[in-house]
Amino acid sequence: MLSSIFEPESIAVIGASNDETKWGGRILKNILSGYKGQVYPVNPKEKQIQGVDSFPSVMEIPGKVDLAVIAIPAQFVLQVVEACGEKGIRGLIVVSAGFSETGNAGLELEQKLLSIVKKYGMRMIGPNTLGIVNEPVNLNATVIGRLPSPGTISFITQSGTLGLAIAEWTIDMGLGLCKVISTGNKADTDDVDLIEYLDKDPATGVIAMYAEGIKRGRKFLEAARRTKKPMIAIKTGRSKRGAKAVFSHTGSIAGSDEVYSAAFRQAGILRVDTIDEVFDAALAFSCQPLPKGNNVAIISNGGGASIVATDECEKHGMNIVDLSDETKERIKNVIPEFASASNPVDTAGTSSYTAYSETIKALLLDKNVDALIAIYVHTLMSDAIPPAEAVVEIKRKCPKPVIACWMGGAGTDEGVEILKSGCLPNYSVPERAVKALAALIRHREFLETVKTRAAGESK
Amino acid sequence: MTRILTEHEAKQLLAKYGIPVTKESIATSADEALAIALQIGSPVAMKISSPDISHKSDVGGVVLNVKREEVRTTYTELMALIKKTVPNAKIEGVLVQQMAPPGHETIVGLKKDAQFGHALMFGLGGIFVEVYKDVSFRVVPVEMRDALDMISEIKGYPILKGIRGRKPANIEAIARVLVSVSEMAEKENIIELDINPLIVNESGAIAVDARAMVEA
Repeated sequence: MLSSIFEPESIAVIGASNDETKWGGRILKNILSGYKGQVYPVNPKEKQIQGVDSFPSVMEIPGKVDLAVIAIPAQFVLQVVEACGEKGIRGLIVVSAGFSETGNAGLELEQKLLSIVKKYGMRMIGPNTLGIVNEPVNLNATVIGRLPSPGTISFITQSGTLGLAIAEWTIDMGLGLCKVISTGNKADTDDVDLIEYLDKDPATGVIAMYAEGIKRGRKFLEAARRTKKPMIAIKTGRSKRGAKAVFSHTGSIAGSDEVYSAAFRQAGILRVDTIDEVFDAALAFSCQPLPKGNNVAIISNGGGASIVATDECEKHGMNIVDLSDETKERIKNVIPEFASASNPVDTAGTSSYTAYSETIKALLLDKNVDALIAIYVHTLMSDAIPPAEAVVEIKRKCPKPVIACWMGGAGTDEGVEILKSGCLPNYSVPERAVKALAALIRHREFLETVKTRAAGESK
Repeated sequence: MTRILTEHEAKQLLAKYGIPVTKESIATSADEALAIALQIGSPVAMKISSPDISHKSDVGGVVLNVKREEVRTTYTELMALIKKTVPNAKIEGVLVQQMAPPGHETIVGLKKDAQFGHALMFGLGGIFVEVYKDVSFRVVPVEMRDALDMISEIKGYPILKGIRGRKPANIEAIARVLVSVSEMAEKENIIELDINPLIVNESGAIAVDARAMVEA
């Protein structure tokens, strides 16, 4: 049913305008700029809007309409939604604000709105949403300036403005997005519906979330547990201690935040602290396979960076694995005599194509190694391109995950571009690279638990 | 509407779910107190029992290690003291209770969360929970393996496993308590529950004090 919202064949934009500083104007412009289906601006005052024939009301649109995007003042929404129902429209995105977020009168209005939506069997995102993006059909029904690059990450956000800012930022990062969904007040479609939808959506590979509060908590956990797709969430309000209940110790310690953390973990949702971490992990999930275990190998042309990475790995419960003698022999052949062929491998400044290529090959062929962190530290004496080419070339043939960390700012730009085009997740510092890998490992562990439990239950 | 259970009521609830609790009974006279003490075996703990007094030791309502010959006078003194310190409290009598066995103090708790239902908590008791908040959580229901995970997650786990030659605590017994508490959460409409302490030693786990708030 949500497909009428995400994959409509035709859209009415109610409150459409020629003025692009207005919501109805900007959203119409964004929809027209990419979306290939039929678009019908609706505005009783205009004949044509942004070069497209406009209609005084949805009832007067000649063809079938799947989705209505509504951006008009709250007091007119009920009557318009009623008309949408009569017209046979299945999906609604209600951008209009002034509902439950404003207090009791608004809540009453929202309940009336919901009852109309239900009466006609429609589905609604919002009200008070900043819209949705569905990249695979080039649909940008938001005020985000442009469509993101294609990708498998779908992002659900409760905060509209933060979501939009993040979407813009991911575009700058070149991170591929599939869908961006601003949930608004979640009067009808909530997180549970969205997770169930994205779970079945073949274009979505990773689900990222910014949540301030979850409706239908139990159902939410069940839906999250059911999906095999990785879910990463940043949940705000961590600092808020439990209400100072005096009755029990448990009550005073078990604030909503502690319960959230436990619940998320049980449902296999990776709860992270920062917005960076959400997308660092999402990036790794979107382009790397899950490791089979937590045995990690590290290559670096500088000792310092590999020590930082090693410490961070240990902090996250990863094992810096002992390499087989055969692997060490192979590595010794391509790195200087004084360099270290033990894990973490330190090439002692060498970053030639051959040194990186042969070392990485040896590490990934070692059956004890489950994942590789490839680090390159830029100096005036070195070139960021050859090691990047080496890692991309080998990664193409290898089913183990590889995480890259090209350090050194502008000097690494060309190397980083090679990594990006080779679909290797790259991070600016080792800690971020390690955390992203830790996310992959945690998700694999979660899937294993689910699998062993399912096996136990079917016995 | 909520209702606060007395310690004795809370423990009867725990016992219903197979959780070991201290041997105890409520006495309404000094003679009865002695009879109970003789049955349980002294020394005993004596605690004022009142639905209006939730924090018994704060009002001087708890006396520990009462010998047989002191039981009758302790009863009389406790009743007199409480009439003075909390004059309006409805007093059911004095709970005469088996003294806690030696062992580690742990805490098991339950709290109903508005969004996700009941959350189960486990940690080391006493100062560990007061100061370090060394606890782990799960949303119920939890199975045996979840319970074992919860126990092993706390920082103080090595203490339970036995350090410096001490005998390990019975981890399985704690896990069984956690599973039982998980089971009662919804059935008994619990809002908040503390088993504090749950005393654990090598032979088992026993609820020594408990408090509960339920939906009435």
